[in-house]
Amino acid sequence: MAAGVNVCVEALIENKIQEVRVVEKQEGNNEQEIQEIYVQPLSLSENLSKLASKIDFYKDESDEKGKPTSEGEKETEEDKTVATFQPSLWPWDSVRNKLKSAHTEISVLLDVLNIAKEPRYMVLDQVQQTQTESKPTLQLLSKKRALMSAANLLMSGSERLRKSQAETSSKPKTDFHIELLILRQKWRLKKAGNTILGDLSYKSAGSRYWQGGTFEVIKASSLPGESTDNTNKSSLEVVVPSDLEGVAYIQVEIKSVPDSMDLMSAMLKMPSGLGPVPTEAYWQQKLEVAQNVLFCKEIFAQLAREAVQSKSSIPHIVVGNQIITNVFPGIQLSIVLCHSSGKDKDKKPPLSPHKLDHNHVLEHSLHQLLRELHHKNVHFPPPHPVTAMIGVSKKRRLAGSTAMSKRELLEMTESESLLDQIIKQTKHNVLRLRTMQTIDGFAANLSDPQLAAHWSCINNSLEASCRVIITSQGYDLRAWHSFVLQIGVDTIKVITREGKVFILSYEQQELQDFIMWQISQHQISVSQNLARLMGWNILSTSTAVGVGELESSGTASSIVLASPNHDRIIAIKSGPSSGVKIYLQSSQTNGSKIRSILKDSKWQHVGGEFQEVDISKFDGRTFASKLEILMAVLVKSNR
Amino acid sequence: MDSQLQQALKLAPLHEYLLQGSIIDNSLDVLIHRLRGLCDNSENLPEKFQDHEMVFTMKNTSIPQPVYFRVRHSLMHPECWHLRYVGQIEMGDKNRHTLVRSCIDVSTSDNVVQFLNEMGFRLDHEFVVKGYYFHKGRMKVTVSKLFRMLQPGSTENIESISNSYLVELSVMATTGQDSVAEDMKNFSEQLKPLVQLEKIDHRRLQVM
Repeated sequence: MAAGVNVCVEALIENKIQEVRVVEKQEGNNEQEIQEIYVQPLSLSENLSKLASKIDFYKDESDEKGKPTSEGEKETEEDKTVATFQPSLWPWDSVRNKLKSAHTEISVLLDVLNIAKEPRYMVLDQVQQTQTESKPTLQLLSKKRALMSAANLLMSGSERLRKSQAETSSKPKTDFHIELLILRQKWRLKKAGNTILGDLSYKSAGSRYWQGGTFEVIKASSLPGESTDNTNKSSLEVVVPSDLEGVAYIQVEIKSVPDSMDLMSAMLKMPSGLGPVPTEAYWQQKLEVAQNVLFCKEIFAQLAREAVQSKSSIPHIVVGNQIITNVFPGIQLSIVLCHSSGKDKDKKPPLSPHKLDHNHVLEHSLHQLLRELHHKNVHFPPPHPVTAMIGVSKKRRLAGSTAMSKRELLEMTESESLLDQIIKQTKHNVLRLRTMQTIDGFAANLSDPQLAAHWSCINNSLEASCRVIITSQGYDLRAWHSFVLQIGVDTIKVITREGKVFILSYEQQELQDFIMWQISQHQISVSQNLARLMGWNILSTSTAVGVGELESSGTASSIVLASPNHDRIIAIKSGPSSGVKIYLQSSQTNGSKIRSILKDSKWQHVGGEFQEVDISKFDGRTFASKLEILMAVLVKSNR
Repeated sequence: MDSQLQQALKLAPLHEYLLQGSIIDNSLDVLIHRLRGLCDNSENLPEKFQDHEMVFTMKNTSIPQPVYFRVRHSLMHPECWHLRYVGQIEMGDKNRHTLVRSCIDVSTSDNVVQFLNEMGFRLDHEFVVKGYYFHKGRMKVTVSKLFRMLQPGSTENIESISNSYLVELSVMATTGQDSVAEDMKNFSEQLKPLVQLEKIDHRRLQVM
């Protein structure tokens, strides 16, 4: 390659341009010119300080030092702190500090060197390393002991670890804190001081019962010795208040009064199945039972308060843990709060095998009613518009603007008490049961005609309905009679096929009479149907016969039929209590002369006597088949 | 005045304790979730509402301070109308945690607008509010968005005013129930840092 060319490197003589301005020319004829403004060059001292500020002293030092002494490190640290605290004091400050500390170190070094060189005041001696005389056996022993103690420590540690490992693997849920976490997910807990308190009351669900349900959570203190049967024992225990211990339930009974007159009969029976809760029960079960106790107590307290306050004509009796009220004459409703504290271990066995005649349905609906009450306490209808008052129903909000009357407003405030609701349900329950019994009794005893009841599956706790169909065997499709029963709280509404409506009271006899009457009517309608089928003529019908012996209830009905050629007439009378009777008009030909004036033989029967036909002598299983035979015979014998 | 009426007015809640805050649209779901957990009836979906508010005023030379009446009716239940008078806001000192203002609420029929017009009130402004409503005991929490009405009187044609939701915590109470403010403060603490409910000085907002 050719020889290198010398290149001269030097700073530009030109200054940096700071800004460019557009200004109007001095002459002022709207022309503009461009001016450049330069940065003034730095003076020599300014340049020096600028360059000096760029030097990084710390970096150089640490690079060159290699292994700094501890003193040096300390110093640099101190310097750093000084420098960081006052970085902008003066650009040369750090340099000065460095130099100063270097100077100090050099002076110290010089002093040491002086002392070493001139041993006038002080002599540097070699330090004697005291050689300890070591006995190898002793050393060995002490080492062994030390190793032994270390080994023991490690062994006991590993033992403990192994134990805890085994515990966690065998019972994964016995950790107190994990259980506390599970408890916390299911129940309301809070920490008060050193204790953990929980709340099992229904207050957060809308209950306003005065009694609280605070329980305490403690750590189970199980000793490691008694670990034989604690496979399902938890490391967490709950302490429920003493008045919520044990088992409680509400027992509802409907009794007819003559059976059990004594008021105290209910103070008693604790089914053996529901004994005290075992003390070592799992906390979840324990809390649930305690919560149930609280709930039952609230139901009873609410009912008792309402029973005392109610102004009904029939007073309710509250005795101890029992509320007695009359539902219908002769029928009593008793609601009992059974609560066994679970403490009296020497509890006598139940005197008699517990009668299972209590009403599960009503017990359940009591629980349901209280829950509904709770729900109502918390769930307010939302305000619309949103600025309106909360806790007020929409109807009430509109009450002012729609100018409701005082009566309407009072109606709105009325709410049915728990006791009234349960009494209503009881009444319906009793009434439905009685109706069922009545219909079933008829259906079982009657063979002619037959009764079939169809209960509607759509019902509620205050209303049920049933359709009763009356048929005659063998003629089911041709002739049937039906009516509908609507069972309410204390009345039964009956709608017959023709659309007539009857209201019956709770007395069983009324329904019986009605059904009997319907049966008697059914027989007439069967006869009517048969007559049409066989070509007989219907001369007259009557649903309420005014003559003849009086029926015990209802009225008899009748029908008069004439044979197809009008020579025979039969009359049928059917009464609720007297039953069905058939009368045949006897012809006057028997035993008397033929009246020659009569042109046609059919006139011979006019004015003839009616004689009763003994239908029990006929073949056939039902009245309808017997009647059919009779009619057929009458027609045939005439030919 | 009738003594019974006086008694009733004494018992009527006439003071509203109020805390306000605001969140941007994106964080609405988080706040709703939190509120559902804190408030009553968490098993139900949050109750929605949609109201139309009209503010009427009487301006007169004889009245130095204009009187404002707020007519609000629900767009979801069109028969529910409501007239509200809101008094001056008391900021109170540091010891009181909430704003307090006197409030008179009246349920009205739907011809209240006509009535106000005939009395000489004129419509000042109107807007639509949509949002969610929660309650915890007697505390009422609303998370709502304000909409400007593009055509006067038409609640269909609306446009949101901002990209945020207004959060209000309020309780209606009778005089001297300052424990309410304490409860509200505790509740608002539970909502931090999702939303910062504060005493907001409206006079300062008006100056801005």
